[in-house]
Amino acid sequence: MPGGVVAEELVKRFGSLLALKGVDFVAPEGRVTGLLGPNGAGKTTAIRILTTLLQPDGGRATVAGYDVVTEPQLVRSVIGLTGQYAAVDEDLTGRENLVLVGRLGRMSKRASSERAATLLGVFSLSDAADRVLRTYSGGMRRRLDLAASLMFAPPVLFLDEPTTGLDPRSRLELWDVITELKHRGTTIVLTTQYLEEADRLADTISVIDTGRIIAEGTADELKTKVGGDVLDLTVADRADTALAARTLAQTFGLAERDLSVDLDLGTVLVPVTVGSAALVEAVRSLDAAGVHVGDFGVRRPSLDDVFLSLTGHIAEENRSESAAPRGRRPVMGG
Amino acid sequence: MVTVSPPVDVVTPEARAALPPRRVLADIALIAGRNLRKVVRNSRLIVFSTIQPLMQLILFAYVFAAVARVPGLSYKDFVVPAVLVQTMTFSAMGTGVGIANDMQTGMVDRFRSLPIARSAFLVGRTTSDSLRLGIQSMILVAAALLIGFRFHAGLPAAAGMVVVLVLFGMALTAFSAWVGLSVGDPETVQAAVFIPILPLIFTSSAFAPVSRLPGWMQPIARVNPITSAIDTARGLALGDGTLYRVSHTHLHTAAWHFSLWWIVIVAVFTALAVRRYRMG
Ligand SMILES: Nc1ncnc2c1ncn2[C@@H]1O[C@H](COP(=O)(O)OP(=O)(O)OP(=O)(O)O)[C@@H](O)[C@H]1O
Ligand SMILES: [Mg+2]
Repeated sequence: MPGGVVAEELVKRFGSLLALKGVDFVAPEGRVTGLLGPNGAGKTTAIRILTTLLQPDGGRATVAGYDVVTEPQLVRSVIGLTGQYAAVDEDLTGRENLVLVGRLGRMSKRASSERAATLLGVFSLSDAADRVLRTYSGGMRRRLDLAASLMFAPPVLFLDEPTTGLDPRSRLELWDVITELKHRGTTIVLTTQYLEEADRLADTISVIDTGRIIAEGTADELKTKVGGDVLDLTVADRADTALAARTLAQTFGLAERDLSVDLDLGTVLVPVTVGSAALVEAVRSLDAAGVHVGDFGVRRPSLDDVFLSLTGHIAEENRSESAAPRGRRPVMGG
Repeated sequence: MVTVSPPVDVVTPEARAALPPRRVLADIALIAGRNLRKVVRNSRLIVFSTIQPLMQLILFAYVFAAVARVPGLSYKDFVVPAVLVQTMTFSAMGTGVGIANDMQTGMVDRFRSLPIARSAFLVGRTTSDSLRLGIQSMILVAAALLIGFRFHAGLPAAAGMVVVLVLFGMALTAFSAWVGLSVGDPETVQAAVFIPILPLIFTSSAFAPVSRLPGWMQPIARVNPITSAIDTARGLALGDGTLYRVSHTHLHTAAWHFSLWWIVIVAVFTALAVRRYRMG
């Protein structure tokens, strides 16, 4: 895996808390690899180790073939990092921020100012280019932070929840940028709590929970792992919901708690092995029980289903968080 | 479609990672330049950090001078070098505050993830802060001259005093950097730096000759690093003879103590700060 990222048995301890319990993780060269996990799963900790900001207590990792512990300076010369919180200088203008990063990244004065102008355009910040960052909104800061991590076009890019705090339009723009970077051969490691984002961008996904990788594969593979398909029923009369659920549980020999029932919406979700065969059977038994069907279909499980079945809890998708809350960083600790 | 990764300058990872001395200096200059730009943009900070010592100068020169006496010397001439030294201690606090701020805004992480010299962040900070201290001490010396303070030992000695002020400030900058890195929160840094410094100022020769301090305080005052800095500054401003008359210590003794303290403070706190920074 010459240009990719490999982590083996990474362990990180914070006092008595074991934040990473032996994380194995591979991000192939030129691909987008998603690290998907709920709050506190260890995503940021893993990214900080891979980007040389944090020393692991065990295990090893290489980025583009360079060891993060013994060759940190080489690792830093091939990576771009957009951390979970925007790392930008409030007192400098957007352009000055980018040029500073470019110059520190060994670019000439001219190359960095040209590159800065290009990236400001890409992230729709040209108009604000010469304004001090204090006057930027959270989303603008976030975009500038991303631009900064692209300054010297690093072959490996780490993005820790890059779209948290972006509005839908900016998020779509960023998705386009990520897709384009991938087409140009950049290796990207992306953490996210947005299942949709992982589904859409990542070639392979590693699901992390409480410091351990609990599943990995393509979105499709993960969905298959959860098993079969999902019958998705909406009853015509919501009063029939419970009856429909009972009937379907009986038909497929399931306990009712295996079904996902929403009495308010009148929906019932049933996990089945083969969707098409189950559909016929289900229609027949619902008809016999006198349940009028409103909408009925078979679908592959969504990543939400995967996540729920793997972690036992739902991803907190709507966690609100501004891009750069002040004073949020804990004391830097060893 | 947007263009996000044109072939910029083609640099191999090894070339990007290399740290010849020229690069290290360039990194230090870039970071120091960025810090100075921040100082200039924070005009409020400049105004406050200059007005406060100015008011102190006026307070001591006019109010205290009316009540305090030092035999054979105007209290103004006696106290101005001390006020200047004291101002350096307050200004050096800005180092820790700036570092804590950089930690909080993620700039430290940004720098640490770039292929720059590890030392550039701390050395760049010290460089810009020394410049800041130098400019500030010159403004204050000019203000002191305006309100009637006089150098008694000639121009070279006067210039020497400014150098001592800046050197002293730099030593405290190392202490302040360590506190900033350890505390990580700008507001707490201010308090954490003051806790050891204020008592040291009050138990020094700043406002009265050591011989006029309470008996129990005198031994503390004699070994106090701030006494050594103030006596050295005083000796250079007023001349060795005057210093000996008011402090019973010669300039070369004071300078010797000051050098020892300077080396100890710089060595200990630079080591601690660098260790803190590496630990990250
Ligand atoms: N510097 C630190 N000191 C102590 N504990 C820490 C530190 N950093 C992280 N932790 C703990 O380690 C665990 C993993 O944290 P991490 O930030 O990696 O999670 P995450 O997956 O990024 O979560 P989120 O989605 O909220 O960003 C959490 O329990 C967190 O409280
Ligand atoms: Mg995180």
